[in-house]
Amino acid sequence: MWESIRPNLSTVSGRIRFWSVILILIFIGFGLRLFYLQVIRYSHYKQAALNDQLKQYQIPATRGIIEAEDGNTDVPIVLNQRLYTLFADPPFIKHPDKVANQISHIIGGNPSSYLPALKIKGTQYSVIARKITQSQSNEIRKLQDPGLGTKGQDYRVYPDGNLASQVLGFVNSKGVGEYGIEQALNPILAGKPGILKAITDVNGVPLAASKQNTQIAPVPGKNVVLTLDLGIQQQVQNILAKEYKKTKSQGLSAIVINPYNGHIKAMANYPTYNPANYANVTNPSLFQNAAVDYPIEPGSVMKTLTTSAALNTNAITPNESFYDPAHWVINGFNIHDIKIDGGPRQQNIQSILSLSLNTGATWMLMQMGDKGGTQITAKGIKTWHDYMVKHYLLGQPTGIQQGYEASGYVPPANLRDPSIDLRYANTAFGQGVSITALQLVSALSSVINGGTYYQPTLVDKIVSPDGKVTIEKPIVKERNVVSPRVGRELVPLMEGVVKSYLHGGSTFMNYPPNFIVGGKTGTAQVAKPTGGYYKNIYNGTYIGFVGGNKPQYLIVVYNIKPNVVGYAGTNGGQPVFADIAHMLINEGFVTPKD
Amino acid sequence: MLEKFISFMKMPIDGVEASEALQRRHKPDHWFLIICIILLAIGLVLIYSISPALADTTGVSGSYYVIHQAMAIALAIIAFIVTAKVSLSRWRSWVKWLIAAAAVATMIAIVLPVNPNYPAHRWVRFAGLSFESVELVIFAILIWFSHFLAVRIKKGWIANYKRTLKPVLGAFLIIGGVVAIIQSDLGSTGIIVIMMGVMLFVAGLPFKRIMMIGGLVVALVVIAVLMFPYRIARLETFLHPTSNCKGSGYQVCQALIGVGSGGISGLGIGSGVQAYGYLPEADNDSIFAIYAEKFGFIGSVILLALYAALFYRIAKIAEGAPDDFSRLIAFGTLVWISTETFINIGAMVGLLPLKGITLPFISYGGTSVVFFAAAAGLIYQVSAYTSHASGRDMNGLRRRAGINDYSSHGRRFGGAYHPNLGGRE
Repeated sequence: MWESIRPNLSTVSGRIRFWSVILILIFIGFGLRLFYLQVIRYSHYKQAALNDQLKQYQIPATRGIIEAEDGNTDVPIVLNQRLYTLFADPPFIKHPDKVANQISHIIGGNPSSYLPALKIKGTQYSVIARKITQSQSNEIRKLQDPGLGTKGQDYRVYPDGNLASQVLGFVNSKGVGEYGIEQALNPILAGKPGILKAITDVNGVPLAASKQNTQIAPVPGKNVVLTLDLGIQQQVQNILAKEYKKTKSQGLSAIVINPYNGHIKAMANYPTYNPANYANVTNPSLFQNAAVDYPIEPGSVMKTLTTSAALNTNAITPNESFYDPAHWVINGFNIHDIKIDGGPRQQNIQSILSLSLNTGATWMLMQMGDKGGTQITAKGIKTWHDYMVKHYLLGQPTGIQQGYEASGYVPPANLRDPSIDLRYANTAFGQGVSITALQLVSALSSVINGGTYYQPTLVDKIVSPDGKVTIEKPIVKERNVVSPRVGRELVPLMEGVVKSYLHGGSTFMNYPPNFIVGGKTGTAQVAKPTGGYYKNIYNGTYIGFVGGNKPQYLIVVYNIKPNVVGYAGTNGGQPVFADIAHMLINEGFVTPKD
Repeated sequence: MLEKFISFMKMPIDGVEASEALQRRHKPDHWFLIICIILLAIGLVLIYSISPALADTTGVSGSYYVIHQAMAIALAIIAFIVTAKVSLSRWRSWVKWLIAAAAVATMIAIVLPVNPNYPAHRWVRFAGLSFESVELVIFAILIWFSHFLAVRIKKGWIANYKRTLKPVLGAFLIIGGVVAIIQSDLGSTGIIVIMMGVMLFVAGLPFKRIMMIGGLVVALVVIAVLMFPYRIARLETFLHPTSNCKGSGYQVCQALIGVGSGGISGLGIGSGVQAYGYLPEADNDSIFAIYAEKFGFIGSVILLALYAALFYRIAKIAEGAPDDFSRLIAFGTLVWISTETFINIGAMVGLLPLKGITLPFISYGGTSVVFFAAAAGLIYQVSAYTSHASGRDMNGLRRRAGINDYSSHGRRFGGAYHPNLGGRE
């Protein structure tokens, strides 16, 4: 056989045949090699191909927007804008300097600043720039550089700048809400990302007609309509900014709430920040909504709640008078009034609030245990503890839709504590107990509205992507906080406080006659971290209402360590309240008396 | 200098004799032509099927590649007709002009500024067209070297050092210097050197000399590889292709994935994925892997069989060629096409290092298609004059080459059976 085909190398045709034999051998070699690759090793290479080609993507869900009431319409205060992240796959960047120049031409900036991200080793994804526009992204794609890519991402846009920023929070670069509404309602706002498994081209763009493609559509987030009234919110923010400077404050918070359903109409703090630039904020405490997460000892504003508890337990009557000894000695300590009011004499309930008598608040605590007595009793402590914790829900989160809410602290009614009497005497006028501004205003709301504790809320409506509107009903956390009678009795007492300040010369506490305005100041000692209290540092607080036939809004003010002459509550809290109350009346937010 | 050049161009061409062309014409080899057309059609269909993918990654319109390839094929048909119609003796008489044209094209390619995407001095560009100078160089060398060897066969100088080997080595040095070093095109240099070497072998150069030249070429290749670090990297990539799939081994890894994932029957013509940017040069150097992905083992073997059939036809034509020149033209073309085919497919199946070599008749690219068609035209012309007296010049070969070991098998195709042809010598 071989004899017949063996090429004869001494002839031209023999040599041609010799070459032909070599070609045949090469063909056989290739055939065997192809058999090895395509038949024997098929599954290996199939898997390798899928590893490269089959990619799984999250299809981001569109985040819900946030709206709030402005006049009678809902207007968006947080919107979405699609921007792009420019990233590199550094091993594919062959000429970093050239690419850096191309990038700089398209998105600006110094080419050398892009080099580190283009040259970084050991990664296939390095971010070159964020928040480039769609047209810039298209320009980048036109470069056809396999080492460059862009990825769309929704960014939050805030048409009103820092309006309600600390209530809103922000959305971080991973698309997760932080602080405020964005954090608390992240699951509702974020929706559910879809999944796309697809054979893609080398740039990760799915190929349309591929059998392996599977897709689960994203579920867009729901829109949230806040209870905030943007008109009130903006004005309150302006007032806080002004008063922050005027009172040389270290932090100022205020809440305006509708006491009949817990709807918060305004909630603001100063200083604040613009959430569009959250990444540039160096002091993270600016992100915090102090009105809900900064509990302090509230001081004498607490006397409104002490009075209400005493009225509700019939320990006192609104017109009752009593003998004030000007000081009580309790557990060996003197409790006396901050104001020197001319020594021991007959006082009444109105003057307890108007003059802010600590001895009077202590006396009311005594009456809750033993009517007519002048001792703090176990019954009195237990009753007051029960009111603070179970009626007014102090020292616990309200459940407001905010990222972080503090609980505060109410001392336990531990009767074996040898100084429990002193502790509880202090709580009767707002010391030794720490609560947030929101806890305070929510508790007093329940007294004013006739005894129903509504969970304070920022969310009015939730709108599904299909347009279905769900109105969030007020959540009742506690009924019969006090009887409706108590609210009716407390309103004139708080009005009396405002009048007494007006008669005392605080002309800014003068309001038009067809409105009712009531309030209570608080000048709170500030506890040292090491124990005891600072001598010259006070927080100024104020709780009050404004309305026509009945209180329409409750307003709480926390002024942290203002630097003012006189009492912090009178001169640091009260003017802020007055500004807000005047604003609500003057701008027509309050319905006057018939 | 100029005078020297003019006198060189005016020099009479050695050994062109009318008698050699005076052969009886018969029907040309239609099978050869049909196989060429099938291969071109496969290439066009393949380019068509990956056009959307290519357009997707390069940003041109979806029909860009098909239209360009169809235009290239139209040009190729013209080239084929020209080379098939213009008689070989005329081509032979133009050999100096061809060499001069190749030299000028190469010089222009070297002088022109490079395209940033392909930073090598290999292209001549004008009026939106581009032309790869080395294809013309190979075509010119094919004709020049066939002529050169035919003359030396006739005069019995094949084994003569001064008359044959020295000029060949000189040509190697010039080609190596210009194509391998200045144009850094080692692949094309390899094609030229292999083509010339095997033509020398067929022309009757003794084994000892072949070994000598082979050793020299290997030494030059080693030097050429060591001179350029990227070639060392490519060699390492070839030896360990999967060790660096993200870096220098990327194309090889993707080619193997393309070939291997095709499986037995392939993904189907509309379903390949590797062309979507994964496999570089999908339309060109890597087109075999794209083909193998789409058509699988069965399709790949069919394609190999088509090439084998093509080579068989060319070898047959070469064997039956009426004279040394036309035989060398046919055989040289066989070596050229087969070497490119093997280097290209060899790289795609991981048996040979990666080279910028096209797959004949199938790869996208006008210059390659046009010059293969031109070479095919020459062969087609030869096929019209073949006889089956392929072994007729046995004695001549032995005589010229000084081979004395007489083999009785040689007589099987001995000139004695065809004295009328054999006597021509």
